[in-house]
Amino acid sequence: MPGLSTSVPRVRSLEPSAPRVGFRELRQVWFQITGTLCNLSCRHCFNASGPRDPWLARLDADTVRRYIAEAETLGVREFYFTGGEPFLHPEILPLLGDALAVAPTTVLTNGTLIDEPTADRLARIADDAPYSLEIRVSLDAATAVENDAVRGRGTFAKALAAVRRLAARDLYPIVTATEIAAPATGPSLYERLRTTLLEARVTRPRIKILPVLPIGRCHGRGNARRITSDDLEGFDPARLQCTEARAVAAGGVYACPILAGLPGARLATDRLADALGPTALYHPVCFTCYETGIACRNF
Amino acid sequence: MQELLRARRVALLGGVYSNYLALAAALTDARARGAEQIFCLGDLGGFGPHPDRVFPLLQDAGVVCVQGNYDLAVAQGAADCGCGYSDPRDNHFARISYEYTVRNTSAPYRRWLGALPPALKFALGDRQVLLCHGSPRQVNEFLWESTTPNGLLERFCRETESEVLCFTHTGIKWHRALPSGRHAVNVGALGRPENDGTPRVWYTLLSAGHEPSVEFVPVAYDHEALAREMARERLPGEFVETIRSGWWTCCLESMPVRERARGRH
Repeated sequence: MPGLSTSVPRVRSLEPSAPRVGFRELRQVWFQITGTLCNLSCRHCFNASGPRDPWLARLDADTVRRYIAEAETLGVREFYFTGGEPFLHPEILPLLGDALAVAPTTVLTNGTLIDEPTADRLARIADDAPYSLEIRVSLDAATAVENDAVRGRGTFAKALAAVRRLAARDLYPIVTATEIAAPATGPSLYERLRTTLLEARVTRPRIKILPVLPIGRCHGRGNARRITSDDLEGFDPARLQCTEARAVAAGGVYACPILAGLPGARLATDRLADALGPTALYHPVCFTCYETGIACRNF
Repeated sequence: MQELLRARRVALLGGVYSNYLALAAALTDARARGAEQIFCLGDLGGFGPHPDRVFPLLQDAGVVCVQGNYDLAVAQGAADCGCGYSDPRDNHFARISYEYTVRNTSAPYRRWLGALPPALKFALGDRQVLLCHGSPRQVNEFLWESTTPNGLLERFCRETESEVLCFTHTGIKWHRALPSGRHAVNVGALGRPENDGTPRVWYTLLSAGHEPSVEFVPVAYDHEALAREMARERLPGEFVETIRSGWWTCCLESMPVRERARGRH
């Protein structure tokens, strides 16, 4: 991924040899709001985000608003803002308000930039909105030592502080963890995180676990198996999120949030309506979705 | 789509979840309030004790039922209830509830559940009303008040040619008049309280008029008797606590943040 141009010059044809799945209906629209600009450089990041030389540019606010308006006409169910780190975008807070005027909205963050004033502003946005604002805060282990080995020094304490600030304002964030540092024995990662959150006096802990994806900084992890037509025999394609989600990122509209920004996943340049056709399951990460049944959505 | 009757006042029951005591109280109440027809929007079993006890009540009262995800799963002997939970704690309790319900639902009633329609339509005065369990497109879709946008509801109404869209599945009632003049109604649930700290449960009265009237009706019933029966059946203490306290103790993890904040747990 490093070295990929920040602008995608044209819509590439779908990988001709990969099996395809049709599109059912648009339920989730994701915004890769900051591209791959992030204040952290987590060692497993699926899109290799970091603070220097982002390979994918951020979205400008007017572009996001245009897609929000189009998604509303298409009967969208929910919006997601991700990156990179969304709170590095100068207009993230007003954009969350704009999205929430149309549909429930989730923002995925590492939590390190959510200080007391930001938490206050998020609480006001949530109170004023007709729909729920969900906030997902990333932690990858139940202890600072294990987490910070993945996400960087001091990130556990900062993320946990953000979780407590948000919970104190009735925003009850969803702590989202990958299995990058999951224990091989003993209590599950889910149970360990739950215990840690309760011990930190986080009321109503909410936790979502995701697998490690063989892409970005974990490219090549595991086997490079791709989906074949045989795999899809008797398989319900509705289990794949590319049948109901699209991701908006620099360059256009992509098949899913994991593949956002990659030319092979780009389906349209400037309209959601042009991106609601079949998707090629061309990438090893498609096999992870197929095999694990993961969904990037909250529930 | 099965089209039924024309009526001016109907009662709509949400998930019964084997709560036959609340069902009996609601049926009596709805008749007393002049309901010409009573509909149930599915999920007859689950959570509560003795699932077979709800069926004679429904059949004797002529209740017209829509199939919920639980009904479909029990009828088919599916591996799980298909409630749509994604959290391990939710799934733990869902599994206990489902296995108990399957074990205690007799074969004739399973066949009856399997024959229920996925949706129904009827005329309320001059308005078309659609009844379904989760949503018109997915039997286990959660249409919470805080996560269901107007644009989606308008689309459902357009696609089903309905002016009033009624559903359940989440277990918590709400009503919204849409910008187009159509209406969306989550009719709530009879089977368990709605996470408000009281043991009462709810059903919905829908009446024709210049604008459709939506009235949520609280139902008091002998919840202590139900709780004792649940304990005798060795159903989880968490379920019994909910019946007694009115606060949800499980199946909370798929609940959006706004609804979650209103509860105790």
